[in-house]
Amino acid sequence: MKFLDNINRRDFFNWGIRGIGATAFTSLLASNTKAHAGLKHDTFPNFTPRAKRAIHISLVGGMSHVDSYDYKPGLDKAHGKPLGSNEKPDIFFGQVGQLRRSDFKFKQRGQSGLWLSSMFPNIAEMADEMTVIRSMTTNSANHTPALFFANSGFEFNGFPSAGSWVSYGLGCESETLPAFVVLGDKRGGPNGGASNWTSGFLPSQHQGVELRTGKTPVRDLFPAIDQQEGSDKAARTFLKRLNTLHADRNGLDSILSNRMRSYELAARMQLSVPQVSNIKGEPEHIKKMYGLNESRTEDTGRRCLLARRLLEGGVRFVQIYSGGPIGGSPRASWDAHENVKENHSVEAGRIDKPIAGLLRDLKQRGMLDDTLILFTTEFGRTPFAQSKANQVGPGRDHNKYGFSCWLAGGGVKPGISYGQTDEIGWKTVENPVHWHDFHATVLHLMGMDHKKLTYYHNGIERRLTNVHGQVVNDIFA
Amino acid sequence: MRQYGLNNPFSRFILFAIGITGTISIHSADFDQDIAPIFVRSCVECHNGFDLKGKLNLSQRNSALKGGKSGTLILPGKPEESLLWNKIKNDDMPPDKPLDQKEKKLVQDWISEGANWGTNLKLDPFEFTTKKRGGYDWWSLQPIKRPNQPDITKSAKWVANPIDAFVLAKLKSAKLKPSSPALPRALIRRLYFDITGLPPSAKEVAKFVSNPTNEAYKKIVDDLLSSPRYGERWGRHWLDLARFGESDGFERNNTRNNLWPYRDWVIKAINDDMPYDEFVRMQIAGDILKPGDPVGQKSVGFLVAGLHNTVVGGSEFMKKTARQDELEEIIGTVGQTFVGLTVNCARCHNHKYDPILQKEYYQLTSAIAGVFHGERNVSDPELERQRKSLLTQIESFSKELKLIENQGRQTVINKRSHGKETTMPKPPKPISRWEFDNNLKDSIGNLHGKAKGSARISGGALLVDGNESWIETNSIESSFRSKTLEAWVELSNLNQKGGGVIGLQSLNGATFDSIVFAELEAHRWMSGSDGHSRTKSFRAKEENFAHQQPVHIAIVYQEDGTVIGYRNGVQYGKPYKTNLQEFFKGSSQVIFGMRHKGGRNNYLKGKIHRAQLYDRALAPNEIAASAGVESSFVSELELAAALSKTKKTKRMALKDQLTGLLARQKELGKGSKMKIYTVAARSNPGKVRILKRGNAMDEGEIVRPGAVSALRTFSSDFGIKANASDSDRRKQLANWITHPKNPLFNRVIANRIWHYHFGTGLVETPNDFGFNGGRPSHPELLDWLASELKTNGQRLKGLHRLIVTSNTYRQAAAPREEGLAVDSENRLLWRKSPVRLDAESLRDAVLKVSGKLNFKMGGPGFRDVSVIPNNGTTYYEPIYPIGSEYDRRTVYRFSPRGGRSAILDTFDCPDPSTTAPRRAVTTTPLQALALLNNKFILNKADAMANRLKAQSNGNRDKQIEQAFLSAFQRNPDSEEMLLAKRLIEDYGLTTLCRSLFNSNEFIIIN
Repeated sequence: MKFLDNINRRDFFNWGIRGIGATAFTSLLASNTKAHAGLKHDTFPNFTPRAKRAIHISLVGGMSHVDSYDYKPGLDKAHGKPLGSNEKPDIFFGQVGQLRRSDFKFKQRGQSGLWLSSMFPNIAEMADEMTVIRSMTTNSANHTPALFFANSGFEFNGFPSAGSWVSYGLGCESETLPAFVVLGDKRGGPNGGASNWTSGFLPSQHQGVELRTGKTPVRDLFPAIDQQEGSDKAARTFLKRLNTLHADRNGLDSILSNRMRSYELAARMQLSVPQVSNIKGEPEHIKKMYGLNESRTEDTGRRCLLARRLLEGGVRFVQIYSGGPIGGSPRASWDAHENVKENHSVEAGRIDKPIAGLLRDLKQRGMLDDTLILFTTEFGRTPFAQSKANQVGPGRDHNKYGFSCWLAGGGVKPGISYGQTDEIGWKTVENPVHWHDFHATVLHLMGMDHKKLTYYHNGIERRLTNVHGQVVNDIFA
Repeated sequence: MRQYGLNNPFSRFILFAIGITGTISIHSADFDQDIAPIFVRSCVECHNGFDLKGKLNLSQRNSALKGGKSGTLILPGKPEESLLWNKIKNDDMPPDKPLDQKEKKLVQDWISEGANWGTNLKLDPFEFTTKKRGGYDWWSLQPIKRPNQPDITKSAKWVANPIDAFVLAKLKSAKLKPSSPALPRALIRRLYFDITGLPPSAKEVAKFVSNPTNEAYKKIVDDLLSSPRYGERWGRHWLDLARFGESDGFERNNTRNNLWPYRDWVIKAINDDMPYDEFVRMQIAGDILKPGDPVGQKSVGFLVAGLHNTVVGGSEFMKKTARQDELEEIIGTVGQTFVGLTVNCARCHNHKYDPILQKEYYQLTSAIAGVFHGERNVSDPELERQRKSLLTQIESFSKELKLIENQGRQTVINKRSHGKETTMPKPPKPISRWEFDNNLKDSIGNLHGKAKGSARISGGALLVDGNESWIETNSIESSFRSKTLEAWVELSNLNQKGGGVIGLQSLNGATFDSIVFAELEAHRWMSGSDGHSRTKSFRAKEENFAHQQPVHIAIVYQEDGTVIGYRNGVQYGKPYKTNLQEFFKGSSQVIFGMRHKGGRNNYLKGKIHRAQLYDRALAPNEIAASAGVESSFVSELELAAALSKTKKTKRMALKDQLTGLLARQKELGKGSKMKIYTVAARSNPGKVRILKRGNAMDEGEIVRPGAVSALRTFSSDFGIKANASDSDRRKQLANWITHPKNPLFNRVIANRIWHYHFGTGLVETPNDFGFNGGRPSHPELLDWLASELKTNGQRLKGLHRLIVTSNTYRQAAAPREEGLAVDSENRLLWRKSPVRLDAESLRDAVLKVSGKLNFKMGGPGFRDVSVIPNNGTTYYEPIYPIGSEYDRRTVYRFSPRGGRSAILDTFDCPDPSTTAPRRAVTTTPLQALALLNNKFILNKADAMANRLKAQSNGNRDKQIEQAFLSAFQRNPDSEEMLLAKRLIEDYGLTTLCRSLFNSNEFIIIN
């Protein structure tokens, strides 16, 4: 064991409570080599974080902002009129019908007086905790690239998602849980599947870990084929001795000791994961608060409750999906090309109560102060109907020019809205917030300078924010 | 690389400037010394000839003085009135990183002193390397000069070849010594994993350990390099670079079922040691260089192995952007893979770090503008060759199998007849016989069959499905008068009607005699004929057996018109008399499975095991004899009992092999064409324009196909027109990349080879030899290796041989304190760093050690994922099917994007979304969980335990010894033996095998 000090500096263990920068290393070439992937970096957080952890609720398919979080009296007035523009908008199907007012009623909520619609009655009660950004914009009006963009800042497969970047920067608060956990809609994975929570070129420990229901919530947590009782423990004991003998013969390299340690943590994980994912012990009133007692909210309710438990266990970033695959009939996502009222009522009904319950629960536990909640969708929907030019159909197409997302907790100014779309909710006209800005802001809230959180890959010091991103300071408390 | 400093390269311009002005005065701010570097570093990037921000060009004196959109920039002598000074003073410019106080002062002084500038001096932002970016003088762009070996070490004992001399010189300068040589067992394990990706056998290790000489080592090196396993291992490395993925990615992520020919091409090319320049040319322009040869279509799979967006959206902007993204993906991979240049970074602006112009990026995309993703049907001589060899194999195996089975049958029959009196004559000799074991051939005469419909051989019989499936032969070679038709036939069911078993017919089917089942009478055999003109009832019993077992049916047609039926060797009902029909040579043929051509309810449903034709009427005892041979159908049980153990095993093995071969034959299909996912080239892709700021809708000037001019020793101009053909463009691109004067071409590949042998390259960023990449730890060694490649005819095997026979490579892996203290990353190579098995090698090693590895090469990949299309998106989920097909090497795995087992995921196998030149090596608890609990691992632990049990006759010590020998190629020591014994006593051998798979010794290779 005599080289251990040096060894640990060289080849650090890829797990646990440290993020990047926690390790130094010895190299003669360090000074004249720029590219030391993951090694020559600032330590994070690089300033006092407002939020220590985050839950990201991702609505798949494109939620209509003009029907939910972006009140547009101008659209009511313009109902049935043409868009009145010669442009060929970059939407998806390209049919520009007449403008259509919202089928949902808006009113002012809470002390703050935020205008919110009847689509999310329970969440609306939490208006005074919310910071609504009404001036989001994105690059693509196409589901998968847009969802990739919202997750990773790029439209393509292979770039690390925000949760992976957070894991890379901050690590986990627990050694026996992953830093980044994904909770999928039970109707199926979002378009693009696991590519949405990939660690891309970041080391694999930063990949989102899917937590599923059932006996083995994390894959391969327990033997895939039943083994004789006690054999696991016996195998591990034998293995430990075998490895020790091996190290005695060959010298203890850090990679050897790290592997040995990984087996100890694996054993602890077999206890901690089932513990955290078992919600049976939660009191009835809490379960009810999350909507676990109703069939339509059971799926999301369970996941929201799980998210809180994961955060309590030390997980850094939890992602919850609302919506499965794009396409099909009836739709299992927010992609309301046919009928916004019908589709959004169903989708909102699945998540409204659970998310409101989550906000309340976090608040009553004092967790909301340093927990950031993100509620996003890959793009919005058009204020005009997706129908013939002389008709007001019930569906809406994709809108990349303007849409809404909201944040809560973790150091954002509650009960405000930020930015504006035009009178009818078609395009952002004030304080545009692009995904890069959104990501820069999230990283900032978690104590990281988005320009410093970099990883070298094929010629470029990559960032979550590419070469863009302005922190939206105005929404900070 | 040069940097601005006291010896700065602009000093030569000082003299020039003095010459112009004719005055010698000491300024506090000198243009060349002070100002030019500031301009080059901080201003010219945006304000230059190519990309005029604010219409300002600061790279030349006149334009600089003139200023841009905002008016005059510099008033010599009056900084406070100069826009330049005001912008700089207020930190408006440069926008991101303002100048520091010292720099500001210099600019201010320079303006105060008259803003002097040499009249013809043009600042080229790429001229020199600065602190922030690389210039034309960047190290990797300079020509390769073969360096001399360092003198000091020529006599050193340690130097086995020049590699060691270069390494030793560096070590000496850091006051380090190389490590002692690795022990023979460690060395040989290292070599096997490194070259073949598989562990050696215990025997192979023992052999070397008993005679660990240099000669023995070199012999093993040669053997391994000529083993096909080498191409599989190093082909896998190449596929990482090629971002080889068998689904489209993006929204649909559809499977790509026909990209595997590219993977097979790579493995073969590497095994054949194809010269590297040819290897590269083939991947860029193989379809052009070898027109009509499918090999070219396979090799250019490289270009389109990456992502493909198949849902591009409706608007023009979306479509154009998607195409531009596709081109960037391709040219980015080409640039990084072959020349280590991240050309893709120059899509929206000039490269921020390397001397690559935005214009040059578009010249390069023009070179590949004809490349599109697609599928092509190609004729494949290789496929033909495979089919033929398969057929030969099938025939020889069947022959062998039949020999064994016939012997067994004979034994059974002999036993049966033993003690019985038998007067049975020898079976008569037919003129034609169809065995239907593996083919439709006439094994005596020339009346070979041709299949119609879905008629096919299956399980040693002709299978006809009653649905217009039948066999016809060539026309008969002599005419028939009297005759005998005979067949062993099994019916699918007894309720079918009118199907023929065997018959003779005129070629148009108008005249025929056939053995027919149940045409006129249900469940009864008859002799069918045209218009029933020669058909009468045999008045026999109903058939009630032929659907369970084959029956022997024969019909004899005598010269006098008598027709006699036989079933299982005895007369069937009563004979009858009719007219004899003659069948004439050249105009008649034999048919099976059909009554006659043109009939209704014509087809048989069942199996014909064998059939024979005689040109005479057989006597009753002859029929009995003939039926006796085979009709006494020997059952599987009887046959198995009659065979010796060796024969039985041999028979099973042959049957297994035949099943595999027949399946493969089916896979290969019938047609001479195969589908390949490849470049669907457009021969005239048209002119390409620069896109301003990379915006697909904002077109600028037209560019001609070309490359990067920063490589100055040869031309980057392809010498072809902007609207040149796709073939001219790609040929020229291939030529530029592989040009003998392109220094990057060989430097990059030499570094890659080194990287895979040592875990870290001499340059640690194998895809990036630019400013953002790593600097070479041993620049001379890199150039020496590159020039070695040049002189040996671009043969990579030669390079491998040099590297693995060096003493640098053969060092021990043990850590040493003094080494760790100064160079913990081992960049100076004071030892051989231990290597954690990559995901594929780990899986392959588990397969080999468990005894399950299937060495089958090539063909479509095995699928250990379920493919679930769900509403327009395809999802892939790992599954764990059992069977030898799934025990092939991991390189033959069907590899879609997303959806892999935890073994591949947690052991850092990259998702093939981008080119992956360097894999991370992580250690996590999730990895431990996967290796302990994954179904694949548990299955193989079981398989290994079963193998050991079968080999050891219940001897536990032997089982443990064999387990250690298989996994580690050494015997257990006494403590290990004791512990292992206790473990298997309580928890079985499977638990021991599972533990060994998880051990450090199994996974970390010293």
